[in-house]
Amino acid sequence: MDRAVQPFEFRQYSSILKSTGKKAGTLRQLRDLIAAINDASLFHHVYQYFLKGHILEYTNDFAQWTGVTLEEGALSEQLSNIDPYAFRSISELRAALVAVIDIYLEKFPETREVLPGDEFFFNQTVSFIYPAGITARNLAEFLIGVKYIDASSLYYHFYEARVRLGGETDDFSRWFESALDKRKLAERMRSFDLFMHTIEGIREHIIALIEEEVRRDMYGSPGEGMKPGDGRGFPLPEKYVAGKGE
Amino acid sequence: MIAQYAGIAPKADMTLLQKLGEKLHGRSFLHVNSTRAGGGVAEILQRMLPLMQDLGIETRWEVIEGDAGFFDMTKKVHNALQGNPEHITEDMWRHHFEVNRRNAERLDLGADAVIIHDPQPAPLIEFRNGGKWIWRCHIDVSNPAQDVFEPLMKHCKKYDASVFSVAKFAKAMGHDEFIIAPSIDPLSEKNRELTREEIEEVLNRFQIPPDRPMVLQVSRFDRFKDPLGVIEAYRIVKKYNDCILVLAGSPATDDPEGEIVLNEVKQYVASDPDIYILLLPPFSDKEINALQRSATVVLQKSLKEGFGLTVSEVMWKGKPIIGGAVGGIPLQIVHGITGFLVHSVEGAAFRIRQFLNNPDMVKRMGERGREHVRANFLITRQTKDYLSVWYALEQGGKDMIELF
Repeated sequence: MDRAVQPFEFRQYSSILKSTGKKAGTLRQLRDLIAAINDASLFHHVYQYFLKGHILEYTNDFAQWTGVTLEEGALSEQLSNIDPYAFRSISELRAALVAVIDIYLEKFPETREVLPGDEFFFNQTVSFIYPAGITARNLAEFLIGVKYIDASSLYYHFYEARVRLGGETDDFSRWFESALDKRKLAERMRSFDLFMHTIEGIREHIIALIEEEVRRDMYGSPGEGMKPGDGRGFPLPEKYVAGKGE
Repeated sequence: MIAQYAGIAPKADMTLLQKLGEKLHGRSFLHVNSTRAGGGVAEILQRMLPLMQDLGIETRWEVIEGDAGFFDMTKKVHNALQGNPEHITEDMWRHHFEVNRRNAERLDLGADAVIIHDPQPAPLIEFRNGGKWIWRCHIDVSNPAQDVFEPLMKHCKKYDASVFSVAKFAKAMGHDEFIIAPSIDPLSEKNRELTREEIEEVLNRFQIPPDRPMVLQVSRFDRFKDPLGVIEAYRIVKKYNDCILVLAGSPATDDPEGEIVLNEVKQYVASDPDIYILLLPPFSDKEINALQRSATVVLQKSLKEGFGLTVSEVMWKGKPIIGGAVGGIPLQIVHGITGFLVHSVEGAAFRIRQFLNNPDMVKRMGERGREHVRANFLITRQTKDYLSVWYALEQGGKDMIELF
């Protein structure tokens, strides 16, 4: 008898912004505040950056501010190059950010002050997690869910989950592995480079990957010379070809 | 009522609204401000009230009453909070408190959550009667005159939390400070779709020619909205392009300076037949809607701004917008993507000319602007945020709240 599959319940994510009351007007002040600010604020400015739907010129708020407002292009690139998912804790991330700024300040100690109003304002969020009202019991249902949910739901399950679950995995991959026994699919999912896509870009990749897997489940492996997702579909197994059925 | 927003507002906002409505069902919410008509605060409250009631929350809106001296003083406070030097005497502060004391006797301030809007009713906190009290500041207080800001803060710091429209307005107040942008209602008379006939009727009534490019600014007649700067920009544009200028605004009962500024504007216009000054009565929503939909280019050339909701109104209608880079305007206008931000009369004139000469750019930016508003500046999002703040305060400062 088949064992019952644990369904995947899509959750929705929403947040309200809260000010810490702290602001930096120079690079040195930014460095000191990054070193001292609470974890929630650091999390917001680095991990929640993707929720803003920016074009990916930068990968976190600190890189954006140093690039756009301070016009310190090299530092901005170095801060953008920090992969927050490579760290096991916020304190490791904090140390990496501070180290990059310290090295830059050693080379360029003269920091200019920005105009009033252009400072870096440290914020944090209060987050709400609630059911999106969509449950998937198999990959086909999951595919419909991924197409329907809001970007913030994708953020919660795919980006935020990496921090929540310790950086190694995300909610989708974990479900593929534990409930559907699809380890390879989970591996392919985990291999997406989060920084190279917007959330909507990630959605497209997930959809393509799942569509390929659903086809494979239905018809078996793709034939020679055919690529999944190339619009030509997959050859039908012989049992479905007229005259060759069992 | 809430169901009417399905398909217009983002799904995530709608779902959370329903969830919070379930959690807060039957509880009471009170808004207090100082005017029932004119300005963005009154406008959004008129629309938000039925929405909250429809969610099952007992919502009321009270308006404080004051004499001419009170509103003269609070206008000065408003200006000082936006950075203008003003002299507020001890007597004036005493009167401010006394008017609030009288209002506290008159009004029922009992509710599970109370939002006090802006400085006029801020001292009501001294008469609180249970519930969570939140001070909602709609003003650009990024660089206030300290001698006015500090006495006001004595009251504001006593609230359970504050809400500001933009992060840079927030102050170290010793309690939770939330950042919540205001919003527009896509279904209101001011923003709903209009028929061709409805638009033509409004233009005919104001004798505005429908066949000439129209540059428009809709705002109170207030120096911070820079109506004279708009006229200067229009005069520069006129050297290159044919156009008319329409300046339209409604008076507000809590703004005694409006008439003075209006007279300055009329004097400055002199006898230019292509400039139309429209002093619209309160609730001229359909007229403003029709003007925005008829405009070729719309300006919000503010020098100081709390948020500048007219920017979102215009973007929702898919129209090109040029705004001063102040207050909440840069949050709405992503420069070069959903419109243009300007810092001078010359900048405004240059961007007007660009729009008048590039219909493709107008269309592209207009479409992006509408989607930007849909995602960030609709009333459903703001209502959701207010209820979220209330619910979060009752959860005792948790960063992550699960609702099942």
